[in-house]
Amino acid sequence: MPDPGSPPPPGARRADKVWHVVSNPVVQFLAAGLVALLVVLVASGWFSKRAATEEAVTDARATTQLLGRSVVETALTRGVVNGNAAAVDRFDREMIARVLVGDVLRVKIWRRDGTIIYSDETALIGQRFTLDKDEVAIIDHGGTAAEVSDLSKPENRFEQRFGRLLEVYSRVWDKGGQPLMFEAYFSYDDVSRRSAEVLHAFRPITVAGLLIFLAVTAPLVYVLARRLDAAAGVRERLLLAAVEASDVERRRIARDLHDGVVQDLAGTSFALSAAARDSSGGAESSARLEELAGGVRHSLRALRSLLVEIYPPELQTEGLAAAFDDLLAPCIAAGIAVDVHVAEHADVPPQVVALVWRVGQEAVRNAQRHGRPGRLAVIVSRPDGGIRLEVVDDGVGFDLGQTPPADHLGLRGLRDLARDAGGSLHVASTPGAGTRVTLEMKRS
Amino acid sequence: MTTTATTSITATSRRRRRGGLAVAALATATLAITATGVTPAAAGGGDEVIRRGNCSGSADWKLKAKTDNGRIEVEGEVDSNRNGQTWKWRIRHNGNVSARGTRSTHAPSGSFSVTRRLVDASGTDSIGWRARNPASGQVCRGSLRF
Repeated sequence: MPDPGSPPPPGARRADKVWHVVSNPVVQFLAAGLVALLVVLVASGWFSKRAATEEAVTDARATTQLLGRSVVETALTRGVVNGNAAAVDRFDREMIARVLVGDVLRVKIWRRDGTIIYSDETALIGQRFTLDKDEVAIIDHGGTAAEVSDLSKPENRFEQRFGRLLEVYSRVWDKGGQPLMFEAYFSYDDVSRRSAEVLHAFRPITVAGLLIFLAVTAPLVYVLARRLDAAAGVRERLLLAAVEASDVERRRIARDLHDGVVQDLAGTSFALSAAARDSSGGAESSARLEELAGGVRHSLRALRSLLVEIYPPELQTEGLAAAFDDLLAPCIAAGIAVDVHVAEHADVPPQVVALVWRVGQEAVRNAQRHGRPGRLAVIVSRPDGGIRLEVVDDGVGFDLGQTPPADHLGLRGLRDLARDAGGSLHVASTPGAGTRVTLEMKRS
Repeated sequence: MTTTATTSITATSRRRRRGGLAVAALATATLAITATGVTPAAAGGGDEVIRRGNCSGSADWKLKAKTDNGRIEVEGEVDSNRNGQTWKWRIRHNGNVSARGTRSTHAPSGSFSVTRRLVDASGTDSIGWRARNPASGQVCRGSLRF
């Protein structure tokens, strides 16, 4: 059986507060807006980089083609192709002055057999490497191709100091009409720089647009949430009024029954008992009358339990102890061991006492209907001037993570009532280890 | 009209085989001096070759070559001690004209110099320097192997 004296865990209260904040629609809207902002930032970054990369590669292709036609082909004499030293000197000076400027970091001119006939890295001149199919296709069919340089290739070993490079191929012709391949290397930093430029150009627009949208819509959402809260308040007041009206009606019915039928039955019971004691009718008649008196008393007890059920007793005048005694009478009759401890509560406001009663009534009903307990304890204590109700049973319990039975929904409603009244209601239960319902109301 | 031959060489060989070539060049130059009795040449240090000589007139010439980041930096110079002379010059690389142009001597020394970078071709490079003054017909001519 759970310890009835232990207070609800503080983590549960923190969870309640967090849930209260998280369930706020304005907070939810702003959180969704921030998530959308992050998504937009990441997506715009990705698209900007992609667009900038494509743009940079396109520019590099165009630049390579232009340089190939306007500079390289003009200076590419037969002497250069044949390895004439003086011709290569002149070509080299032309390349350094007109091609190896700005973004172009290295150039190579290839023969179809893979021989480098010129490079500004002069150690490569005359060396031969294997060309890829794509590169041979450019020499044969023209066009351009671009790719990130593989610096592990032997022909690129001198480019490692440049870091990441973009290499672009284009076909050129020498003066004798021989097709060759012109290869230009561009720094990939330029691609990254261009990506950053595109990003910096568009990101402020995107982010500012989204922030303005959030700034404009947040007040609208706030107003809408306030209206919803107000509507919920109206509904709650209507519900309370309905409950109050129901209470009034039930109280009237209970009073009528108590003052009428109950009194009549009590009188009848006394009269029958008195008649049974009068032996003038004979022993058989007396026994019969005593039996009838017993039946009337039984009906009277049943009627009183019903009165407790349909309306709480006069809690302020008779107290919670008497009310719980009446409430638990059927449990005792069913063989359940019952403990009731109620601390003095004359100074507790009536509405709080009524809430304690309602919660206790619901918890006892649930234990009786679903828990199949052997023991049931109802304890009302006064910690720090507040009031605490604990209803503890050693029944079958249930899994809190699963949907509770329909009858348990009453506790959910009472939890809302407790929260609205400034208190808290906690249910602790484990399958096979009973249930503990705790209502905690601070001192008002 | 004759031009002088180079007279000495000091070089740190880039390649081992150039050591032998330098010795051969030194011997040739010494013989040339002995034979013609012309102007001696200066020497340079490091990975550098320098030749000096007299032109057909009163002017002197100098030709210097040194390595420069995978290339050969060649500097040709003419010193005539007269300002304002116009000279046509050219640099040959392995027998073919690599660069040519026109320059004028200027103060204070009445000289001019030309610097060009040549691609360091495989094997030993032959570099020639020629300058001609069209007005006087004076010619300067020199060469080196690098």
